[in-house]
Amino acid sequence: MPKRKLHPLPSAAFHILISLAEQDLHGYGIMRQVAEQTDGRMRLGPGTLYSSIQSLLEQRFIEELDPREDIKLGQERRRYYRLTSAGRKLARSEAERLADLLRVARARKILRGEYV
Amino acid sequence: MSEKVYALLLRLFPSRFREAYRDEALQLFRDRARDEKGFLPRIRLWLDLFADLAISVPRQYFYAEPGLLGASGQRLGATPSFYFLSDEAPRAGALLLGTLLSLAALLTFSSLLSQGGNHRPRIATARQRQRAAAPPSTASARPAPQSASDTNSPGGSEDEPVASTSGPSASTATPFRAAQVKSGDSRSTALRWQEPSLSPQPSIPQLGRTASSTQPVQDDANPTTTTAVQNERLDARERQHVLASAIANLKQHYVYPDVAQKMAEALRTHEKRGDDDATTDGEAFAKLLTMQMRDVSHDMHLELVYSRSLLPQHPTEPTPEGLARYRAAMNQENCTFEKVEVLPRNIGYLKLNSFPDLSVCRTTATAAMASLNHVDALIFDLRDNRGGMPETVALMAAYLFDHPEYLYNPRENTTRQSWTLSPVPGNRLADTPVYVLTSAKTFSGAEQFCYDLKMLKRITLVGEKTGGGAHSGVWHRIDDHFGMGIPETKPINPFAETDWEGTGVEPDVKVKAGDALATAVKLAESKQQKK
Repeated sequence: MPKRKLHPLPSAAFHILISLAEQDLHGYGIMRQVAEQTDGRMRLGPGTLYSSIQSLLEQRFIEELDPREDIKLGQERRRYYRLTSAGRKLARSEAERLADLLRVARARKILRGEYV
Repeated sequence: MSEKVYALLLRLFPSRFREAYRDEALQLFRDRARDEKGFLPRIRLWLDLFADLAISVPRQYFYAEPGLLGASGQRLGATPSFYFLSDEAPRAGALLLGTLLSLAALLTFSSLLSQGGNHRPRIATARQRQRAAAPPSTASARPAPQSASDTNSPGGSEDEPVASTSGPSASTATPFRAAQVKSGDSRSTALRWQEPSLSPQPSIPQLGRTASSTQPVQDDANPTTTTAVQNERLDARERQHVLASAIANLKQHYVYPDVAQKMAEALRTHEKRGDDDATTDGEAFAKLLTMQMRDVSHDMHLELVYSRSLLPQHPTEPTPEGLARYRAAMNQENCTFEKVEVLPRNIGYLKLNSFPDLSVCRTTATAAMASLNHVDALIFDLRDNRGGMPETVALMAAYLFDHPEYLYNPRENTTRQSWTLSPVPGNRLADTPVYVLTSAKTFSGAEQFCYDLKMLKRITLVGEKTGGGAHSGVWHRIDDHFGMGIPETKPINPFAETDWEGTGVEPDVKVKAGDALATAVKLAESKQQKK
């Protein structure tokens, strides 16, 4: 059975990494952040969200913090996640890859606009 | 409520995932349910959840296990190692379900297998009807179709190992079976009148008749129509046709014309009395007529046979594929020479499970005998031998004499092959004491070996009384599904009035088959000591 793979990086995992770039978040926080950064197009379901988190944890791209409460959401203790430096590096290289792709797309006149 | 539903749905995930994230997933569900109130958002929430399940559940199962856990920390090239798919014991429920599912699958498969033979293409039915009007065919000389795959079947035709007859035997000798199974038939039926007690259970199609090399255009040689067909209901017309053909064949071919006449009368009487009318099943009808014929003749080799599969109209020649399959099967089984070894005190032991066709197995046979050339006593173990080719019987027997000996074969009149080709150059076994182990399974050609050598006082038979299959009939096809075996000859037995037909060959030393080897070894040893 193949090991869970992050190469190439699935878009859900990439979005999770991006969502954690500026702050530590719990699962629901990540989901909302991802929805926000994609204008509501991507609403991660629990299954997708937590299997991606599981993979990212296994590969040490994110780390789990001690559970704590989110005051806005009530008394429940929640697991928070934080981007590791490896995760940041991975997100950056993925972003660069996408930027390269974008450049090519523009060069081929698939996408109009300025070169990135 | 909806949370409970989602909790149930979460059970779809593998346990590993549930243990780690069930609570988080439920929490996330609660958060969303709290934040997304109203009809449409709620619909969207559930759509999201179902889409998420559809995508992530299969993925979880695919990736669920964190890789395979190597039992050994480091893998060495070419070193076998173990991997665990799961390190937790399956639940009792899962085990039960797995057991039930495998049982169901097994039952389905086996019932499909047994039902498979009942499938009958409609086209065959129409053809059969047409054929019913055709005149009875007469026997034509041709070797029995052979089946390499049959060689080992315990099903019990005497010559099953020799079923091959047709294949290789085209060359020289008449095989033990070819004598009686001269015309194109299903092999299974041929076997049946050699072993009349067997219930007629048509065997799997044989390689010999997959295609007719003589008339490939014939529709009934077409493999699609020769596949298994259903037990057709008989109507009065077909019954009459079969009966008339059977009578015609009896009168024309049966060895004793007067008995044939009596049987014909009996058959007609039964018909007039309406004894046959109730029978609409082909197999039952064949049995009924067989019984009526045997009531008069008491000849167990006379048999009317119904075959579910279409009987080929024209004799088929052995195909190269068939020969190749026989050859391969024989090679794999060392030509049924199961054991060739020298026991302590220089006693040779040869376990032979058939008398295979020499065109394939001559080298094996001669090599086996050569390797035993210097033994002081020789034991032939024929306890699992169901028969074979008379020429092979003669070849093996030839080693036991320094001059040609006549071997009686109840299946055919005297031929050149009736004499052993003794002496065999370089052979030293002509005076060696020989013990032959028998069981109730020892049959046909193997019995010929036992009987003739016993009559010639050349061997000591140790074990059980043999099966008792000597004679058989010649095959005559009636139509697509009916045929009959008719004994046509009665060779003269130089040794005694009766042979082993129906009675078996009596051993000289009667012991249980399981003890036969030990007994024979003891006999051989005590004989050595006396010297």
